[in-house]
Amino acid sequence: MSRRFDPITLDVIQNALGSIADELALVIMRSAYSNIVRDAMDYSTAVCDHEGRTVAQGLTTPVHLGSFPDAMRALVSQFAGRMSDGDIFIFNDPYGAGGMHLPDFYIVKPVFVGSYVEGYIATLAHQCDIGGLAPGGMAVFATEIYQEGLRIPILKLHDAGVPNEAIPQIVAKNSRQPVEVLGDIRAQIAACGNGEKGLRQLIERYGVDEFRRYTAELHDYAERLIRAEISALPDGTYEFEDFLDGLGENPEPIRFKCALIIAGDHITVDWEGTSPQVKAAINGPIPTTHAMAYLAVRCAIGVAIPNCEGYMRAITVKAPKGSIVNPNEPAACGARGVICFRMYDAMLGAFSQILPNRIPAANEGGSSAPHIAGRTRDNRPFLISGGLMGCWGGSAVRDGQEGISNPAANLGNAPIELVESRLPVEITCYSFVQNSGGPGRHRGGVALMRGYRLLEEEAELVMRSDRRAVLPYGLFGGEPGTPSWNFINPGPDQIVLPVCPFASVPMKQDDIFLHIQAGAGGYGDPLERAPAKVLLDLLNELITTDYASDVYGVVILDGAVDEVATGELRRALASGGTIAKASYLDHFARATCTEGLARKPNASPT
Amino acid sequence: MDPQHSRAFRVGIDVGGTFTDIVATGSDGRILVRKVASTTGDLSLGSSRGVSELLNENAIRADEVDVVVHATTTATNAVLEGKGARTALITTAGFRDILEFRRVRVPELYNLGYVKPAPLVPRSLRFEVSERLGPLGEIWRPLDEDSVRVAAARIQASGAEAVAICLLHSYVNPEHEKRVRAIIEEMLGDTLFVTCSHEILPEMREYERTSTTVINAYLGPVMKAYLQRLEERLTGLGTGRALHVMTSGGGQMSLKAAMNKPAYLVESGPAAGVIAAARIAKRLDLPNIITLDMGGTTAKTAIVEHAEPAKTSEFEVGAGINLSSKLVRGAGYAIKLPFIDVSEIGAGGGSKIWFDKGGVLKVGPESAGSEPGPVCYGKGGTVATLTDAFLTLGYVNSKYLVGGALGLEAGISQQAVRAQVAEPLGIDLRDAAYGAVTVAVANMVRAVKSVSTYRGRDPRGYTLIAFGGNGPLVGAMIAHELSMPRVLVPPHSGVLSAYGLLMADHEQELVRSYPARTAECDPAALNAAYEELSREAVDTLSAEGFAPQDIEVRRFADLRYVGQAYELTVPIAGSGVPVIAEVDAAFHEEHRKTYSHMSQSEPVGLVSIRIVASVRTPQPAEEPADAPEAAADAPPVTRDVYFGAVRGLHAVPVLRRAGLREGERAGPLLVEEYDSTCLVPPGATARVDRWNNIVITLEPRA
Repeated sequence: MSRRFDPITLDVIQNALGSIADELALVIMRSAYSNIVRDAMDYSTAVCDHEGRTVAQGLTTPVHLGSFPDAMRALVSQFAGRMSDGDIFIFNDPYGAGGMHLPDFYIVKPVFVGSYVEGYIATLAHQCDIGGLAPGGMAVFATEIYQEGLRIPILKLHDAGVPNEAIPQIVAKNSRQPVEVLGDIRAQIAACGNGEKGLRQLIERYGVDEFRRYTAELHDYAERLIRAEISALPDGTYEFEDFLDGLGENPEPIRFKCALIIAGDHITVDWEGTSPQVKAAINGPIPTTHAMAYLAVRCAIGVAIPNCEGYMRAITVKAPKGSIVNPNEPAACGARGVICFRMYDAMLGAFSQILPNRIPAANEGGSSAPHIAGRTRDNRPFLISGGLMGCWGGSAVRDGQEGISNPAANLGNAPIELVESRLPVEITCYSFVQNSGGPGRHRGGVALMRGYRLLEEEAELVMRSDRRAVLPYGLFGGEPGTPSWNFINPGPDQIVLPVCPFASVPMKQDDIFLHIQAGAGGYGDPLERAPAKVLLDLLNELITTDYASDVYGVVILDGAVDEVATGELRRALASGGTIAKASYLDHFARATCTEGLARKPNASPT
Repeated sequence: MDPQHSRAFRVGIDVGGTFTDIVATGSDGRILVRKVASTTGDLSLGSSRGVSELLNENAIRADEVDVVVHATTTATNAVLEGKGARTALITTAGFRDILEFRRVRVPELYNLGYVKPAPLVPRSLRFEVSERLGPLGEIWRPLDEDSVRVAAARIQASGAEAVAICLLHSYVNPEHEKRVRAIIEEMLGDTLFVTCSHEILPEMREYERTSTTVINAYLGPVMKAYLQRLEERLTGLGTGRALHVMTSGGGQMSLKAAMNKPAYLVESGPAAGVIAAARIAKRLDLPNIITLDMGGTTAKTAIVEHAEPAKTSEFEVGAGINLSSKLVRGAGYAIKLPFIDVSEIGAGGGSKIWFDKGGVLKVGPESAGSEPGPVCYGKGGTVATLTDAFLTLGYVNSKYLVGGALGLEAGISQQAVRAQVAEPLGIDLRDAAYGAVTVAVANMVRAVKSVSTYRGRDPRGYTLIAFGGNGPLVGAMIAHELSMPRVLVPPHSGVLSAYGLLMADHEQELVRSYPARTAECDPAALNAAYEELSREAVDTLSAEGFAPQDIEVRRFADLRYVGQAYELTVPIAGSGVPVIAEVDAAFHEEHRKTYSHMSQSEPVGLVSIRIVASVRTPQPAEEPADAPEAAADAPPVTRDVYFGAVRGLHAVPVLRRAGLREGERAGPLLVEEYDSTCLVPPGATARVDRWNNIVITLEPRA
């Protein structure tokens, strides 16, 4: 800590900025309309300094948090010197405005003190529908951004306090859900107003110069913290690769090859060797790739770092132009979330080589995102959506948890009763899946399943999921997780859908769509799992008796572990399996009636 | 009351983690205070012991005690320590894991070591029954009673002591839940404590309803046993005439009612303090106050407007720190019942002072508690705490805490602050201690903001009422930071929560789901629904022995713009047929006030109707003047107190409250009392008003 700064004032300012960012987030959550914003909380808020650098963020969605810098840089470079007090900006364009995909609307307000911009209030909310090929803006099968809905360069939504009425009208005409979208935009504007008041008061209190000096120090402070942590890691290059299953009926695996280069107190994430961009909506414009690198490093180092942009100086991201992690315009990107998760998995996999005791095996692979949309009998649009999550991988210290948000997304689930009271759907089940997850000394979290019965005459289903062919990885002897499945009308006449169908799927009244998500990877040798934990899983009906003996070599009789038989069985299994036992995947397939279904319609990844 | 007795006493007992505070008010205007150590293990023992001591000392006969009102941490502790009953849960088939999924989100980002709270009912005790209702209460699939019998048999075999029943959409149609309860009781007798979700929380949102129902069942057997023990002990003393319990919402409940709805008791202590402050505000005609209750472990804030404390129904027990308006929940167990909206942060006298990895000074949330406690307690504590900083600065008297019963060792306190804070920073001892206090104040400022600016309220228009053992020390500093004009320190501020117990009304709050657009509402039908709800509440209170003419019913509506998910609660004037236009107008205004925008063209949706039936409690008589012994026992005349580098060191006069009676005095001043010390900084002035409150007026900020 430099002597020029009073550590106490620094803490007070940091606290004050944090409370402004939280207040922003709260105003949006409470007054927003769409369920994706208010229940799933798919939005973010930030307070920025006079150069647009983030100095505080609301506790919201990690994927978004690292993307503000690119967006703010675009805004400041295009409008520097052309801003007036009372301006509010709106934009979503991933190519030129720092956006990530079109549904994410940035609404940003410069904060004037005197006649200069001394800070910004920035908000981002995922809009539930902005037009495009499919409701929800996540049509995987879009091949160019022009098919994905309304694209907004950086525009003044308010110009010196005067609203530009044309913009909301254009937005409304381009959305299937205009009431929700305009409501959410109003909530973002209101939050900007609140935040502006708080930030201006704070700056005036310390004076412009002093405030600038302290925000600069906040950046330096965050940078010092992260550099100290990176320095503690051994220098070297650590590589890992992971895959997306691919798209449509005959998926080709998509490679994410990551090299972490640690040199002193700096870290470089290099994606050389990653697959080229694809003709589908899963390309990640570079702000996404930056955001994921910041997130992965923060998760891996395991130390609280303040949300100030300064820490990002210790991280460099290299992504080959034209690859799926740095595509050229006009690559489509609506469903880019799925590659965020795989980037995260690849980076954490690389970190697991450096930090084997801290990094868990792979989680469920990210949120599954079903969208079921149509019009009611009286011609009102409906959209049933909401990301499904999740479970974590096993780690050196504990089993993977189930019923928990992915660390990269931290979205919530909408109340079933609220969904059913507003939308023509019956949720048929929402529960854990027996015999799922990767076995290990610490097992992976178990999978979830959820079913949707359509109550309207017809609808179209768009599904984005993954992890059927390439399973969530296990670590240090732990097994990979279990595969994900999508069915229409599970049973004798079921239709098995790919993880990412390359077209919307028609549904008729009473059709059931069932999604079984992937289970997470295990950690360590399953035969070293404490028999008492196996017994507990059995009592909780998370596994069956056969599974306990076949997979873990634990023999359970009358609700108790048979120590002797368990010892014998474990020795036999360890010595190379004298008896052919059903694998954990066989057990999973039996529990989910997916026996005999092909997981890999195409060649396995190379 | 027996007519031959000319006097009667009401006794409030607030059981905290460290101390049990007892306050008795007499019909003769006397106010008696007693602080005793809480008896861990059986908290009812300390309560009865304290009451007995207080009565004996003051020559009060047990039969002169009319009413005992109780607040306890027993319910909270049972959840925190996992000591509730072995509880089973019955759910709709396909939804066994609702309780464990929670809302999925985690309250901490970037933390791969995060562990979510274990469900209060393990999966092996969660059973499904075959049935399904739709969102209008229509039967999609009838209840399969055999499936209930199978579940009941398994519950019997499991050794469960309590059962929670929560089926989807039961808030609109409770018939299936009722039938499940009947079958369980038929098969298992009345040995089990059973809670149905429609009985405790007939509202939409299955996770919150399930969680609330589970907590009620989980606490049921434990709280029943505790309250029975307390009743026996107090009856044993001869004071068992009427025993009431404080709810988290700030009302009172009879002991019998509390035994069936223990989930209502989780935050009874903090609620009592706010109620006391609200009554003071009413007496003084202060429309806007913010309360600050700072004790040994945490500081709690709440907002009170027009003598009505703000309420919330989003609470998590066991979440550690509960900021009102908290963004991300999930750290504790959700209870969706009326709570006084208290923000709590880890800043108390016992909060530890430390540095983070970047070298920034932090205070709390970790606390040294009372064992070993701050370094100055001399009980083996080695980490410098906020109390050590207070002592170093001269804020507190080493010989006068809790009336001198707790001697503090200033020397070792200073050593710790010097070695742990001053030397690493390379600054003077006093500057280091002052820095720690400044950081703690900044944290508390955030708690005040979370109940004010976060809700669109400007604290500059509010009076801060400071109480608890440490509140009066820091109140003026917090007010200064937020440009609040005035701080009020009530008498008995160190035991104000116990005092508040004697001021709380009897309340019965009932909610019914009533989904409709206001524009399409039939006012007559709405009125009928309100009347039905009122009748139910009045019947309950009448059954507890209150005269119907003493029962006042207020109406509220939970409203939102159609499409929003969060409601705002708005009072509905009068008891006749509501005027819809007025309801809409009140909602638009509340929305504007809270979120700084409204949209009069958007349709307004009614979500639920709500009534609060209350019986007013006679308020304790006006405070008398300080007892004359205060002056005789006068503390030393001045003490050196440090106010930071700018304002420096001052020789500060130390007074008793009575010393302010002669008129307004300019700070700096210290007012020392039995249960707390009040600090009036330089630049502020202080006086006592006719109710013996210390009123600190702050100089306007530059």
